[in-house]
Amino acid sequence: MASSVSSQQDQVLVEAHSSARILTLNRPKQLNALSFQMISRLLELFFAYEEDPNVKLVILKGKGRAFCAGGDVAAVVRDTRAGANFFLKEYTLNYLMATYIKPQVSILNGIVMGGGAGASLHGRFRVATENSVFAMPETALGLFPDVGASYFLSRLPGFFGEYVGLTGSRLDGAEMLACGLATHFVPSAKLPMLEAALYEVDSSDLVIISSIIDQYCEQPSLKEQSVYNRLDVIDRCFSQKTVEEILSTLEREVVHQMDGWISATIQTLKKASPTSLKISLRSIREGRLQGVGPCLVREYRIVCHVMRGELSKDFFEGCRAILLDKDRNPKWEPSKLELIADSTVDCYFSKVNIEEWEDLKLPTRSKFNLPPYVIAKL
Amino acid sequence: MDPAFQRTKILTNHLLQSSLSSHARTPSLSSNACLNYSAPELSENYAFGIKEMRKLIDGHHVEERDWLFGLMRQSKVFNPKVRGGRVFVSPDYNQSMEQQREMTLKRIEYLPERGVFKGWLTEKGEEVEWRKFACFEVLSIFDHSLATTLGVHFFLWGGAIQFFGTMHHHDKWLRDTENYSIKCCFAMTELGHGSNVHGVETVTTYDSNTGEFVINTPCESAQKFDNVRVPKENLLNSVADVSPDGKYLSSIKDPDQRFAAFMAPLTVGRVNIAVSSVYQSKVGLAIAIRYALTRRAFSLKPNEPEVLLLDYPSHQRRLLPFLAKTYAMCFAANYLKMLYVKRTPQSNKTIHIVSSSFKATFTCNNMQILLECREACGGQGLKTENRVGHLKGENDVQSTFEGDNNILMQQVSKALLDEYVAAQKRNKGFMGLGLEHMNKPCPIIPPQLTSTTLRCSQFQMDALCLRERDLLNLFVADVSQCQAKGESKEHAFIMSYQLAEDLGRAFSDRAIFQTFVEAEATLAAGSLKDVLGMLRSLYALICLEDVAFLRYGYLSVDNAATVRREIEKICSELRLHALALVSSFGIPDAFLSPIAFNWIDANSWSSV
Repeated sequence: MASSVSSQQDQVLVEAHSSARILTLNRPKQLNALSFQMISRLLELFFAYEEDPNVKLVILKGKGRAFCAGGDVAAVVRDTRAGANFFLKEYTLNYLMATYIKPQVSILNGIVMGGGAGASLHGRFRVATENSVFAMPETALGLFPDVGASYFLSRLPGFFGEYVGLTGSRLDGAEMLACGLATHFVPSAKLPMLEAALYEVDSSDLVIISSIIDQYCEQPSLKEQSVYNRLDVIDRCFSQKTVEEILSTLEREVVHQMDGWISATIQTLKKASPTSLKISLRSIREGRLQGVGPCLVREYRIVCHVMRGELSKDFFEGCRAILLDKDRNPKWEPSKLELIADSTVDCYFSKVNIEEWEDLKLPTRSKFNLPPYVIAKL
Repeated sequence: MDPAFQRTKILTNHLLQSSLSSHARTPSLSSNACLNYSAPELSENYAFGIKEMRKLIDGHHVEERDWLFGLMRQSKVFNPKVRGGRVFVSPDYNQSMEQQREMTLKRIEYLPERGVFKGWLTEKGEEVEWRKFACFEVLSIFDHSLATTLGVHFFLWGGAIQFFGTMHHHDKWLRDTENYSIKCCFAMTELGHGSNVHGVETVTTYDSNTGEFVINTPCESAQKFDNVRVPKENLLNSVADVSPDGKYLSSIKDPDQRFAAFMAPLTVGRVNIAVSSVYQSKVGLAIAIRYALTRRAFSLKPNEPEVLLLDYPSHQRRLLPFLAKTYAMCFAANYLKMLYVKRTPQSNKTIHIVSSSFKATFTCNNMQILLECREACGGQGLKTENRVGHLKGENDVQSTFEGDNNILMQQVSKALLDEYVAAQKRNKGFMGLGLEHMNKPCPIIPPQLTSTTLRCSQFQMDALCLRERDLLNLFVADVSQCQAKGESKEHAFIMSYQLAEDLGRAFSDRAIFQTFVEAEATLAAGSLKDVLGMLRSLYALICLEDVAFLRYGYLSVDNAATVRREIEKICSELRLHALALVSSFGIPDAFLSPIAFNWIDANSWSSV
């Protein structure tokens, strides 16, 4: 299978230019999906750079046509403890990035989904391009938008976060910029110049870095049928209290508006795991009222329950149908929203009541002088 | 050398720190270390489960509240503003009165669109009543205009239709009221009659020719309607009616009882105001305590960092007892809501007394708490965006509307007096209103009070019961003495107002304390119960600082000193739990204020 020399070092390439460190996710055949080794390596690097006065800026990008298609969950789906450990490390990395004292610039020139979003959207600067394709597709997989998505999705305008998280809808670079997932939009042709300028910056000053990116920036226009032009319908439907009510509101809307988009949204929701939908909705709603740390702690609890498979095996079924056998026809159990009681959903949000299953312990940040934009996320 | 050139050279050397100025050993310029904001989340620990505590104090519909919080936070109509990187929602008070009214209306229209009011008037059963209370508690912290408009619309108008209307009225109006297709109001009190609403001067005359009621207010001292005609079928006639030939009919013969029946919907208003005032206190305390965990002032020794406000015993003494009081009020509020939801005709009197007592007590406490919190936030506390000062200003009216607090407390003492007389007549002892302790032997306060005794819930209950018991006896004796001299009962009651006041407070404190003890008893042993026990003791001991304990000799001067020292001790112990205790309120950041977070960044030049 894999070459025996494939070490974790190769999966993340490191370059240094003055006080900038350029990290490149290097698994292009797997669309840079994050393996356990990559996550460990990134953690190692980020921790080291924080204490290193010679490092002032971290740039993250992907090799090939993707930035990062997600966490390599298929690799861990068979082993519960390994899976939990994978998520533990991944969420720790997400937290570190979210509370990092130095600026991180992520160049999102391609697919940025799931774990890829977690590795980039928590940083201070997110540069989208005309090639960017963002999505949180977890509900189709029997999982739920994790990696701190309950934080960043819930901060999107209105109830766009619920829409994106429940439907796994794809957003392009212009939409990412419009809703705030991206901070800048730079046409891919200008990326080499942007990167060259960033290598010379020799500063952690946000204003300086921002103004450099601004020089290569463009203001893209939204496509006419962009989902971002339909925020009023999205807000009306996705603000509803329960998944059932979201669906019934969408179904009422589709009668009034002969609209392909609403029917497509309904179909997507109907194909997703009902358990995932309920968990995701509650996670995003709770996340809206919490800081990024508590969001990740909560997500870790949920993912442990998902990995243990005691309440539902949808995650394993989703991985089988979408990633392994690829028949795209998962058999969810429970198969209907009405069959899932609130008390069952409650279970996902409680701590796993078994000795070895500890809550996620986030690294302490109190020894640092955190910048204001980090403090605002706590 | 040209002085200007020389000066420039010196300044340049300072800035560039160049070594070429051989003659000058001027120290290079460097900026002072600036004050930094440190988030309390990073340094304070949670010793117990915040979620569990929240569930305990909110009591019900936690997810519903969070959903409503979310609806308001995410909507432009609630005026979101980013300060210090966080979103806050709060009305824009710089708008004119007309614009603010317009915005309040827009907010109210947004809510039914999202299904917030679904079933509020058309659904039956206990769940919807609990849900309404929960929603109201949340809405009341946004803005007083919103809360009052909704209160009048749903509880006064809506309640009147529900309680006094028949099915015909329900069918005609309840659904439209619920989805806000009609905008409703309620007019009862007059310029010259507020507390004594029985004495209103507006007159209704039945015009049998047209089948209409003509409502008219002939006096300037009343100022209500000018010959307004209302069709007969709009008379809400389930309690009393007018026959086709103009006779007044009612199944309730006694005029006082009938009047009481008409006052019934007002009870829910009273309950709502009481319970929402507790939420407002929570907002004030969350802001003031979070601020006190990040703001420093004065160093104890030179070159040491300045001390955090909440590390000062005096600051702890100002805020933490109010925190205990607020927790006590949470449990009492849940008890009051339960009394109301599970009401029966037999329990009406109890509900009236308890709701009067709690409304007066909670709103009075709320004002004291908001005042203290405002002061604890210094000048920044006055800024409208910091909410506390504004909450206090807007909600001051709580002390006098839906029942003037003084009048309400007098009604409580009057009721206790009547209970006493009735119990004696019955010769079966006291039943109800928690007065059963009067049937037992009089509790004894030990002459020497130790820390252990002071923290014991039995001692605390004994002390509060002793005060209530003794004051009730004194009050009854005083009134009887007056009556023996030939005065009427009403006159005797008016003359005994001082004892009545002390008694009213004694009843309220004891009743509230009882709910705290009962809530604490439901918990399994653990850190949550321990912390709650500390709060319960602190609440009891600050009740024991009431002047009545020394005035009537329930505590000796030495005892009072011991109590005072114990209060200080508990405050310093609770200091460690301050952040956890206010986080347990579950009030989202958007409903607090910039001063509770990174107030340095919120006020920085780049932010403003």
